[in-house]
Amino acid sequence: MKWIASKAGFDEVFERGSAPRGHYASLISILESFTLEDVARRERLQRLALMNQGITFTVYGEKEGLERIFPFDFVPRIIPAGEWKQLQDGLVQRITALNLFLLDIYGDQKCLRDKVIPPELVLSRREYKRELRGVVPPRKIFTHVVGTDIIRDGEGRYLVLEDNCRVPSGVSYVLENRTLLNRVFPEFFASYPVRPINDYPSLLLDTLLHAAPRASQSPVTVVLSPGIHNSAYFEHSFLAREMGVTLVEGRDLLVEGNRVFMRRTHGKRQVDVIYRRVDDEFLDPLTFRRDSMLGVPGLLNVYRDGNVVLANAPGSGVADDKSVYAFMPALIKYYLDEDHLLPQVPTYLGFRRDDLRHITEHADTLVIKTTGDAGGYGMLLGPFAARKEIDAYLAQVRKNPGNYIAQPLVDLSSHPTHVEGRFEPRRIDLRPFILYGDRLRVLPGGLTRVALRPGSYVVNSSQGGGSKDTWVLAAREP
Amino acid sequence: MILSRVADGLYWMGRYLERAENTTRLLLVTEEMSTEVHGLDEELARGEWRDLAEIFPGPPLPERAIRHVGGLAAATLQALTLASAHPNSVHYSLKRARDNARTVREALSVEVFVNLNETYQDLEAQAGRRLSDTPAFRSALSAAHRGILSTVGAIEHTLTRDPGWLFLRLGESTERLFRAATVLRIKLPGLVAPEPKVDLPLLHTRWRALLRGLSSLENFRQSYGARLEPLEVLHFLLFDARAPRSLRFGTTAVKEILDQLSAAGQPSAPARLMGRLAAELTYRSDEVIRRGEYLTFLDAVVDEVTKTHEALSTLYFGT
Repeated sequence: MKWIASKAGFDEVFERGSAPRGHYASLISILESFTLEDVARRERLQRLALMNQGITFTVYGEKEGLERIFPFDFVPRIIPAGEWKQLQDGLVQRITALNLFLLDIYGDQKCLRDKVIPPELVLSRREYKRELRGVVPPRKIFTHVVGTDIIRDGEGRYLVLEDNCRVPSGVSYVLENRTLLNRVFPEFFASYPVRPINDYPSLLLDTLLHAAPRASQSPVTVVLSPGIHNSAYFEHSFLAREMGVTLVEGRDLLVEGNRVFMRRTHGKRQVDVIYRRVDDEFLDPLTFRRDSMLGVPGLLNVYRDGNVVLANAPGSGVADDKSVYAFMPALIKYYLDEDHLLPQVPTYLGFRRDDLRHITEHADTLVIKTTGDAGGYGMLLGPFAARKEIDAYLAQVRKNPGNYIAQPLVDLSSHPTHVEGRFEPRRIDLRPFILYGDRLRVLPGGLTRVALRPGSYVVNSSQGGGSKDTWVLAAREP
Repeated sequence: MILSRVADGLYWMGRYLERAENTTRLLLVTEEMSTEVHGLDEELARGEWRDLAEIFPGPPLPERAIRHVGGLAAATLQALTLASAHPNSVHYSLKRARDNARTVREALSVEVFVNLNETYQDLEAQAGRRLSDTPAFRSALSAAHRGILSTVGAIEHTLTRDPGWLFLRLGESTERLFRAATVLRIKLPGLVAPEPKVDLPLLHTRWRALLRGLSSLENFRQSYGARLEPLEVLHFLLFDARAPRSLRFGTTAVKEILDQLSAAGQPSAPARLMGRLAAELTYRSDEVIRRGEYLTFLDAVVDEVTKTHEALSTLYFGT
């Protein structure tokens, strides 16, 4: 079997000189014991299983109803216990600070008065919902579920790339990938203490119930999905099934007497907690977008009066804004009086005059992003763009510099990935999932996305990315 | 109780799954019948395909393709098996069953979804190209039929008997009753009033095909023996209390589900409609047979089933 080490960036598996790192040695020797035919046969089984189970996502912009399987690479990514400990501590610290920040800007706005972060930067964001100022969600939790994107630089340091505080998706693939790998390559698991992840749905349910307003009774929880045409519909349905709660769409809910109910065949039933996978803008046509067909008229009023919990709380999106990101180290210091544990990527802000000059002068070395978009949309990869593209993009930036940030291109780490009988390096990232219930919990593992095209930096599923099973190893008893 | 939308999705999943099964079975039976008689009586073979087009209406077939029975058979097989635009093709019904299953997936078990999805994917893989010959169609149809039956088995074996299950069965039973009544309404005129010159063995073949089309041949033989006496067949397909595709059995099945969904002691509007029809089918059988009023009676059955569908949609789905 042929293994190719990465030439650029950090190689997750091979050290310089192409010897495997200690925690990958067993995996490689197990894989070496297979013939290429074995591997090909197992890979066929794996594709068939994905297709038959309907584990698919929808690609926007192509013809309607087009379903694709999310490509899965069977070579698992392995994270040793020590590395994971650092990541976990850093994430808990970060999400704690993010929540305090949200509580503050929707409350007294002390951080703005103390000039920790420029007020105009926060208050001008579309994601900042001024209608919700003064509304404190139950137990002061805004972000019940966060998915934070992590990358590794050339030295292998873990860096935070961005936080997803709105409706982070991907956790169903984390769980399905594990099940799939268990079935297709059971041999892999024999020599590794892999930490289990299958309690995620029950932890998620606990997290949601913890926030319920009618705690003494048995609260009714639902998952709110935009519906079957949403790219993450599989995940919405998966989580509802795994938690044993009802999956609803906006049209299944109605507001009466400042309470939310679901329409059922034999009368309606009150709903207490909504794990909503619908963006803020579409939640309630009476408050936000009036043309939304996905939402529930009057829902925000019920939320404001504390008669229903929305997870994540509306307005949380401002915390993952790409320019707020630049201030995270300062915010951590401000709220927790601690130094930030997880480093992040240096960020230039379009609204600062000096930064803007740097961006325009060095666009060909930078990744420029709009502050509000996600999913790899609206982004310019300077080092790979033609001069004409860069100039066109910069013209947009100059029109509204506050909407843009720029970062140096970080040479993501690479991981061997199976490509027709060879193991070639492909770039990866990591999205761990953090639940905020009675305390903060980080699911041991997360979604490792992989850019399947050789040399590519883009790991998004909508743009040709795949995924891997992600193992966090248990600390062995000394 | 469950969401109205989910009940709606399960009901239609049940209907489409049952419809796909009916189309598959009737295609197989019609093809066999047509092959059998085509050399003897081409007009009869042609009539079988025309009946099928009436039972499962869709866009007209190209004039040129249907000049000969062989062409008519091939075009109908293609349309009703694989055409994604034909509203009664097996492909279309399975797709709709699966679409509905996807919207209510959390109400189904993995086994149900996987069986249905596999059956659909297998057929989908063949759509878009023309199958080469009749055996290729038979093999695709038989595979689809097995897949549908294993899905039905998974429904039986893995789903909780909750209201969701009742709505799934309600869709299935309603579709079965509606389709059986339609088949009888379209097939009977040619069977009960044969032209004088009719060939008796051929007539026998047609009654036999009718029974097979309603998957009732074996059931009939168990009750009446191998001789096919038209009046007995008629009585069996309309009024038998135990044969799963008789109209009486089907009506009772729909009624019982609607009763379970009704509040205690208070039959709902659709339950009353089916209750009245079940009483007719139970107590007026001899009268209908004696007076030879099958066709008006069948019209009434189709009508009542349609009304019941409308009443239950209004009541439970809010549509």
